[in-house]
Amino acid sequence: MKKRILALLLAALTLLTLSGCGTKPTAQSAPAPEAPKVEKIRIALVLPATVDDLAWGQSMVEGLKAVQKTMGADKVEVAISEKLGNAVDAGSAIRQYATQGYDIILAHGSQYQSVLTEITKDFPKTTFAYGTGFATQPNVFAYDPQAQEGGYLLGMLAAMTTKSGIVGIVGPVESGDAVKYNYGVQQGVLKGKADVKTRTAYTGSFNDIVGAGNLAKTQMSAGADILTGSSQQAVGALRAVAETKDKYWLSTDMDQSSIAPDHVLAAQVYNWEKVVTKIIELRKKGTLGGQVLTLGFADGTIDLKYNAKLADKIPAAAKAAVEQAKQDIISGKLKVELPKK
Amino acid sequence: MEGVVNSDIIIIILATGIRLATPYLLAALGEMFVQRSGVYNLGVEGIMMMGAFAGFYATLQLGSPLLGIVISLVIGALMGLLMALVSVTFKAEQGISGIGLYMFGWGLSGLLFRLYVGGITSVEGLKAIKIPFLSNIPFFGPVLFDHNGLVYTAFLLVPLTGFILFKTSWGLNVRAVGNKPEAADTLGVSVVRIRYQCLIVGGMLAALAGAFLTIGQANMYADNITAGRGFIAIALVYFGRWSPWGILLGSLLFSLADSFQSMVQVLGINFPYELAVILPYMVTIIALAISYGRVWAPAALGKPFQRGTRG
Repeated sequence: MKKRILALLLAALTLLTLSGCGTKPTAQSAPAPEAPKVEKIRIALVLPATVDDLAWGQSMVEGLKAVQKTMGADKVEVAISEKLGNAVDAGSAIRQYATQGYDIILAHGSQYQSVLTEITKDFPKTTFAYGTGFATQPNVFAYDPQAQEGGYLLGMLAAMTTKSGIVGIVGPVESGDAVKYNYGVQQGVLKGKADVKTRTAYTGSFNDIVGAGNLAKTQMSAGADILTGSSQQAVGALRAVAETKDKYWLSTDMDQSSIAPDHVLAAQVYNWEKVVTKIIELRKKGTLGGQVLTLGFADGTIDLKYNAKLADKIPAAAKAAVEQAKQDIISGKLKVELPKK
Repeated sequence: MEGVVNSDIIIIILATGIRLATPYLLAALGEMFVQRSGVYNLGVEGIMMMGAFAGFYATLQLGSPLLGIVISLVIGALMGLLMALVSVTFKAEQGISGIGLYMFGWGLSGLLFRLYVGGITSVEGLKAIKIPFLSNIPFFGPVLFDHNGLVYTAFLLVPLTGFILFKTSWGLNVRAVGNKPEAADTLGVSVVRIRYQCLIVGGMLAALAGAFLTIGQANMYADNITAGRGFIAIALVYFGRWSPWGILLGSLLFSLADSFQSMVQVLGINFPYELAVILPYMVTIIALAISYGRVWAPAALGKPFQRGTRG
């Protein structure tokens, strides 16, 4: 008997701690007890990792904060559920948000595509969005960052800045966005300086920051002096780079220079504010979904950010060439190839 | 700089392998005592996460990785005590309570991190200690004698735990309790006390393994930082047949394969990445499959002890 009670207690305790870090509406949303008249847009975000991963998840969270700031906290309500890497758990969170009447539900991961198809038909008035992806439905937007474009520019920058002649990529799992980004970097390096080598390696995980750190150490000990990599484990690699003198990092998804101001040269930054604003506007006009929203340099949904503190580490010629290439991407003159399937 | 000499590459692979083996070694040696006493604790991963957070947070607040280690040992002991309470005193099914402890540790460490830290923050972790003279030996110096203190600790624990387990009366009691608890009980050895002690020691070593990840490797904390290493450590206890030297062999085999595959990828040697990342697991399983015949295990493993009944 005692045994059973204890097991129950332990289970309850576990649930408590787990739920403690699960769903929670952000504090920024206005208290607004009843607040009837104001037309309020309610947005829910479902994340595979955490709100503060300094990568994919956090970039979207900051985009939503920016939307709230621009449109007014009383006009936009944001609720976030994190750590839902498991598609089944994510599915129940998404369904719950839809049932609670959220207008726009962002399932921020390519892995949510199949979960969404099971849910979206039951909520035809709700707008869903997910990405990276291509498949849409009448009430589902898919968004697709052209990660290879920034990868290309960062690759050029790396090739023209490296002293050892080796650029190292610390990749997560060889699939989807990571491959897209890495392929861009590889092309950019070739374009930047033909005899610079790109060395690509993967940890086989998205969230093993210790593994990413170790892989970065191996990359550096084998000669790479400029490194880059995507996904939420990338901060582990960045931390390893930041501990080593004269080694630099190029970040993607968002600017990671906050934790290593002396080692992040530049960043490819996603501007989710624009994407979410577009979804809100389309919804207001009656378009609930059915479109693929592409993020790229052309409309400013992707941007390149330099670390002002390390401006002297980048040769002027490199910066000029990168800026030129960026203009060519914007004008359509330069198309960065996607990896062949 | 492309002309990296081959011996340099080998040094990197070996030194990295030794570094990578450390958390497995620490956690598995702890779990060895636990299982030798007849309990299997599947909560190692959860304890590691708590130790990882405790070590990180204490280092962040107090500015000293040594204090971080001390605090993580205390937290590990408490987690071990919790497991002992549930599985020894209340005799709950060990597999289930271990998984419960794992989820508890995962949830609680993530929650504490969110409450008290809140974002990616890095700390000044342990520094490498070059052993005088020895680290100057060509080849062996950089491979063996240029690591941080926890790496040396883990490897020194191998002979030490071997001595404790096989050459001391306490070790004899542990083995007796894990094999024939009734007999040990008849001879006046407290089964409960020995199991409590082993779970506490196991918890401390698991927490130390976790702390190694946050303040000896990554120098930061993130959710789920252990990424399955606790479960691999448990598997290595089986691989090592509950002996420190077997565990050392397993940890090294796994970690060297891991370090080797990273280097293969980095050097761009034409080898499929999918195969590369599973190489450590493959090597370990193959070695396990071909190297041992009959399986020995502590006879009372997994069975709660109840005086007056069989098993």
